[in-house]
Amino acid sequence: MSKYELPKNFNYTDVNILKQFITETGKIIPARVTGVTASNQRKLTKYIKIARFLALIPYTDMHK
Amino acid sequence: MKKYEAVIILNPNLSSKADDFIKDFKKLLEANTFKISKQEDVGRRQLSYSINNHNKGHYLLFNIEGDPSKLIEIENKIKYDESIIRHLFVSVKNHSGEDSQLLLDSKNKKNEAEDVVEKEPKVKQPKEDKKENLDNNKDVKPEDSESKEDDKIEEKEDKDE
Repeated sequence: MSKYELPKNFNYTDVNILKQFITETGKIIPARVTGVTASNQRKLTKYIKIARFLALIPYTDMHK
Repeated sequence: MKKYEAVIILNPNLSSKADDFIKDFKKLLEANTFKISKQEDVGRRQLSYSINNHNKGHYLLFNIEGDPSKLIEIENKIKYDESIIRHLFVSVKNHSGEDSQLLLDSKNKKNEAEDVVEKEPKVKQPKEDKKENLDNNKDVKPEDSESKEDDKIEEKEDKDE
């Protein structure tokens, strides 16, 4: 299982980090695949959902 | 008093009036006892999906601190502002105080663009050199062609023989 190293402080504006944890179709990748710690995965999901709302990353690849 | 991060996406067609909007927004915040500790004007950015038929948005980030009950009043006023295509207030424990990655990215892009602009004259200079070379070549070419013609003539002569 590969361990991703996340910086101590990151937030929803770090688009390049968040993009590594979503699939091509925009889904959040489960922690059992990425090997991220549980607390980091909770942060990731929260920030990914905020970043989606702000149109920084897509919800899906089906956007018109 | 609670700390918040505010993200506002402005209509890209009005991004030239962003400074006016920031002034108005500051007045609105200060009228509602909010303090602004940091503001970032990220600028126009490509949206990941279209919002109200806009493909780009002008992003503004604010670090603010104030009374939660007053925030509702601010949000009520922002809701009916047509220059805003999306807004979000997130409560945070502490403001990081560092520049957001969005701002850094936009700065990097600007720098790259400037680098390209700076590089262009540099590229042009070699081109001029090349032109000079071409000129030289032109001078040389006729000689070459003449020599080739000479060769051809010689060949013909050979054939004749």
